[in-house]
Amino acid sequence: MKFHWFNLMPWPHLPEDFAEKHRSVWVDVDSRLYDPVKGHKVYNDYLDLLEYAAELGFDGIGVNEHHQNAYGMMPSPQLMASTLARRTKDISILLLGQSIALYNPPTRVAEEMAMIDVISGGRLISGFPVGTSMDDNYAVGANPAELRERYRENHDLIRRAWSDPDVFAWNGKYNKLRYVNVWPRPIQNPPPIWIPGGGSIETWDFCAEMDYNYSYLSFSGYLRGAQLMEGFWARMEELGQEFNPYQGAFAQQICVAETDEEAQRLYEPHVRYFFERCLHVYPGFADAPGYRTEPTIRAGLASQVGGSSSSSQLATQLSWQELIDQGFIVAGSPDSVVSQMQRVAETLKVGHIVCLQHIGNMPVEKTMYNTKLFAEEVIPKLRPIWSEYEDRWSPDPIANDLMSDPRPIRSGAPVAGGD
Amino acid sequence: MADLQTLDLATSGLTVSYYRQGSGEPLLYLHHVMGVVGWEDALDKLSQSFDVIAPFAPGWGPNKDELFEVDKGPLDVTLHNIDLLDALGIQETHVAGIGIGAWMAAELAAIFPARVKKLVVINPIGLWLEDTQGEDPFAQHPMSPTKILFADPANREKYLVSGMEDIEGAVDEMLNLRAGAKFLWPIPDTGVDKRLGRISAPTLIATSEQDPIVPAGYGPAWQAKIAGSELTTIPGAGHLAELEQPDVVCALIRDFVTSGKVAQLTG
Repeated sequence: MKFHWFNLMPWPHLPEDFAEKHRSVWVDVDSRLYDPVKGHKVYNDYLDLLEYAAELGFDGIGVNEHHQNAYGMMPSPQLMASTLARRTKDISILLLGQSIALYNPPTRVAEEMAMIDVISGGRLISGFPVGTSMDDNYAVGANPAELRERYRENHDLIRRAWSDPDVFAWNGKYNKLRYVNVWPRPIQNPPPIWIPGGGSIETWDFCAEMDYNYSYLSFSGYLRGAQLMEGFWARMEELGQEFNPYQGAFAQQICVAETDEEAQRLYEPHVRYFFERCLHVYPGFADAPGYRTEPTIRAGLASQVGGSSSSSQLATQLSWQELIDQGFIVAGSPDSVVSQMQRVAETLKVGHIVCLQHIGNMPVEKTMYNTKLFAEEVIPKLRPIWSEYEDRWSPDPIANDLMSDPRPIRSGAPVAGGD
Repeated sequence: MADLQTLDLATSGLTVSYYRQGSGEPLLYLHHVMGVVGWEDALDKLSQSFDVIAPFAPGWGPNKDELFEVDKGPLDVTLHNIDLLDALGIQETHVAGIGIGAWMAAELAAIFPARVKKLVVINPIGLWLEDTQGEDPFAQHPMSPTKILFADPANREKYLVSGMEDIEGAVDEMLNLRAGAKFLWPIPDTGVDKRLGRISAPTLIATSEQDPIVPAGYGPAWQAKIAGSELTTIPGAGHLAELEQPDVVCALIRDFVTSGKVAQLTG
């Protein structure tokens, strides 16, 4: 089993009464709540945490893309992934991912992903999400009726731009490019492609067709994720895809401490911050008309956020123990977390865990504590799970002797000037 | 009660689903974002004075799968309506449209002025006034996304979706909204303002008093662009005016088309 340390990068300074005073954390969130000077520290702390996780032996470190969102401050995941590529050496860069339907021309995505893959020596995992309605339709303004068609065209263009050695013309419906010729080309061709999804059944078929990893990025935990992942595996089987747990990934919030009691004491305020403030989304932004396809609407797969019936809303009403019992969070002593994580593996049958260990407004020190305990006390006991399967969805970097070392940062050197 | 009919258009290969009833001069009715809601009361009343033709536009109702067969600009939808008139053998027609249908009606009258005798646009979408704007019809609560289209929110259940169990109604509602979004996302500025000056048909503009999607401020803006046009308001109705006030809307269209008069409205 493999573990990727992931940071959503939430704004940690939302006021106590945020949910009462504001209608949404996303799209029309009040910009006056943001302070760029505090933001400087927040970004650097968060990047430090990702680098810290890299030192502890996680398999990957991960970033993603959101727009106009106070719980996800990475409009450009490439910017984050590129600095991580420079500052790390032997860990996957999980860019999960870039909403490829949004970029015109999408060859820009092909270029930037190739740059990161080359800088990192072939350590990139390239995430190609359709993206959320909040991001794609409302914040970026993409037409929901055209989104999936555009996604598919952009995907096909990016794949060809990486692989076709010759200059080609692309006369698509959404992109017309006379001379496509991406420089640089990625080391991995292609980098492993993961498709983060919520609950669109078209995405399952796409993963089967293309042999991509399906990553379920839920904040509702593994028990609620089970139904969806079961649907995914059943569909894979129906389509003749041989079962391999590494074709699935799941995001889980995880809190480890010395004891169960300490876990609650240390982490509960930050988990509450996340569910109560970070997931406070105006329902009118949750599902633009056309964002979900007709079969998905009929399948009755409810959106994760927005509305009183959503699971995120439910989480705000649960006790700490109920949050654990219902799987929203995995929390407790190392032993408790090991046994809960074993249930995660059994329930979801996924080989990749996207570990959400910085939650809400969790401070740096606590996050490091949480991360270190998980890496040292939990991961080693879970490693053997799924060892009989080959992971075809992780990067294949260049040989170690070809890999550049990041140049150490010299502290105390003069910033500018001199004689 | 008119039955739904279909017609294949040789020119585009599309199939049009439409209602047709009545006698007299033809009246082409172009629907709002929720399509033609069955053989509507307002259409039935109009069919006592006119040969009413009420097609579903590509992407709506039974024609939902044709959404991707037309470009979202004005040309394809206008040619589609011309193809339909040609296939029905109608050279000239009166045209009435509501909401997005009013935009399509205005395009038809602007691009093919010789085919349109009189034009009625009700709660017309297509202009964007920075100071007036209007509510976003595509950013509503997913459990009741069309409540905002009515003056009386209870009318959503009366006309469109009969309760939580009505999955088909809710799916239709979402698909119709999707079709509207295709043409109007993210800002309903269709560029029609550049073409409104080409309209030569006598034109009546009406705005509902309780339509937050097309606030009354848009009425004078349309009137200013169409020479000699008349302007009135519809009391007691939201965006889907013909569902909430069928008698008023029928009287408005009938009087203007038959005598050029603007009906006195009391709601």
